Amino acid sequence: MLDTGDRAPDFSFQRLDGTFSEFESRAQSRPLLLAFLETDCPTCRLSIPYLNRLWRELGEQLDVLALSQDPEAPTRELIEKAGIEFPVSIDKDLIITRLYDPISVPTLLLIARGGRILHSLNGFNKNVLNEIATTIAGAPFVIADAFDGAPDTKFGCTSRHLEPVSEGALDSAANPYLKRSGRASRIVLDDSIDPFEYCMQFGDPLPVIPPTIDRVEKMLTKCDLHPDEVIALVPPNYGAATVEKIAANAVMAGCTQEIMRVLITLVRAVCDERYNLHGVQATTHFAAPLVIVNGPVRNELGFACGSNVFSNVARTNSTLGRALQLVLSNIGGARPGGIDMSTLGNAGKFSYCIGENEEENPWEPLHVESGFKREESAITVFAGESPHGVSEHKAREGPQVLKAISRALATVWSYRVCAGIEAIVVMCPEHAKTLHKDGFAKEDVRRFLFENTGIPIRHFEGAEGEGTQNTNIYKQAIIDGESCYLKFLHPSAIKLVVAGGTAGKFSAVIGSWAAGPRGSQMVTYPIPRSN
Amino acid sequence: MQLRKEGEMPITLVNPMDETPHAKQEAARRLANLFGKTVGLLDISKPGGSIFLNQLERSLKQRYGVVRVVRITKPTFTRRAPDEVIEELLRSRCDAVIEALAD
Repeated sequence: MLDTGDRAPDFSFQRLDGTFSEFESRAQSRPLLLAFLETDCPTCRLSIPYLNRLWRELGEQLDVLALSQDPEAPTRELIEKAGIEFPVSIDKDLIITRLYDPISVPTLLLIARGGRILHSLNGFNKNVLNEIATTIAGAPFVIADAFDGAPDTKFGCTSRHLEPVSEGALDSAANPYLKRSGRASRIVLDDSIDPFEYCMQFGDPLPVIPPTIDRVEKMLTKCDLHPDEVIALVPPNYGAATVEKIAANAVMAGCTQEIMRVLITLVRAVCDERYNLHGVQATTHFAAPLVIVNGPVRNELGFACGSNVFSNVARTNSTLGRALQLVLSNIGGARPGGIDMSTLGNAGKFSYCIGENEEENPWEPLHVESGFKREESAITVFAGESPHGVSEHKAREGPQVLKAISRALATVWSYRVCAGIEAIVVMCPEHAKTLHKDGFAKEDVRRFLFENTGIPIRHFEGAEGEGTQNTNIYKQAIIDGESCYLKFLHPSAIKLVVAGGTAGKFSAVIGSWAAGPRGSQMVTYPIPRSN
Repeated sequence: MQLRKEGEMPITLVNPMDETPHAKQEAARRLANLFGKTVGLLDISKPGGSIFLNQLERSLKQRYGVVRVVRITKPTFTRRAPDEVIEELLRSRCDAVIEALAD
């Protein structure tokens, strides 16, 4: 395959209107972005909105040519369905493909005036897209925002010329990267129907506020987005969560209009590939998305962070968490009794949303750990079990507090299961104070918990059970003079949040679902000041 | 219920449910019997899956006359089968596929 620094070979190509053109590198007056695409490749479709943006915003400074490796009919269908704005030609018989020999699609090549390849990208990569845009613009230029809901990188598909058998059929119904969808339909209620009774079919089994046109439109006034813009395709059914549909569910949940900017961000975050909502919604495990709110938005909108933080304490927490669950069930399709067949479920599936008590937190808040500024607002989602309480009123010193917490941590998922799991420790302000007084930094707390949470190896003797088969990957350590398997693979598997009231030495641990790239990863998204 | 006054619009709701057009898939044609057929066994990679599928493979061959069993494993049960897995199944020309899990 040709790479950065190589000279781009000349070729001729046929435009979709039938006319022929030539690419002659020496005669090229502007840089050319050459893109090899397939019509049925998800990564190609993921890239299209970004190529559209490049073309729209930097089209005066460069030429763009996409070469489809598929026949004309599916190519035209892709152009129409994905809304391609830049020029596309068919690479008939894959002649140009063979000349350039890309290993996968999409492959993007930025060819400078004179014909040298300046950038090459196989697959999807936001950083490289931004580098390409920056090179063209001659100044830092962001074409792919880090928090637009798309993954940072995604592998492409095998280039057609390297496939053993070419199969170019496009699924004509699915069009997952279209950014616009239709408007929601309207339901006119007969006078004899009680709207509250009628709406009992929507979402959770508690009554909802009927999403009348008036109420939904008021909700929409608080965001500048177009009502039919698709914020995310919500797994497991991959229903299109348009701004309007999200607003209708927000109305039903009892949200105030101001919450829309948080809810829109939350829907994006929970549908981030790293979070793996598909798995979280379809598992029989206890997991539900726990939402953690950080930054000034807590006080601006009234998120509870203090006493009763997990309970029915504040409209903002309860309705945001509920609105998310309604979106997941009504648009994503994971309903109890249907796709959601969780064995015991989770009370958090009504609403599971807390604010971090940053005012009582002696350390960095959660979002600052993820790289955001303290004065920015952010939302975090974690696939969590229900909270498991740790009462420790007698310990006067930090290590004793942490010892109590580590014993609860040892039980998450299942006592003898180590590695491959994570946990959130929700530290109450009194415990945090004791630790801070004893000189524990946040990292010290995490390391102490990591080093002191273990399962004695003697408990693995005798009968087999969940966790006993994988001991080869467990780490060993001596804890209090006893050989143990460490519960977690790394200190970073233990997340730390301070929340709750200032009276009472009750903290909590929340176990994860399957963690890591093959399970669900915690994601944090910044909340914009407005939408 | 209070009736609306004359000239008032009836209550109209914005449909909050999913209305995304989804492709309709016809179920595959059923086989009359398994004799002489090739059957794919897709293991979703849960810990007990292979035990169950080994038993199933034996039964298919010994009791039902299946001539060939193709075994394919998903990289992880937590996510959808990637395209490569589906393509591998398609290439193996199975008459039927059984997707299985066991914990």
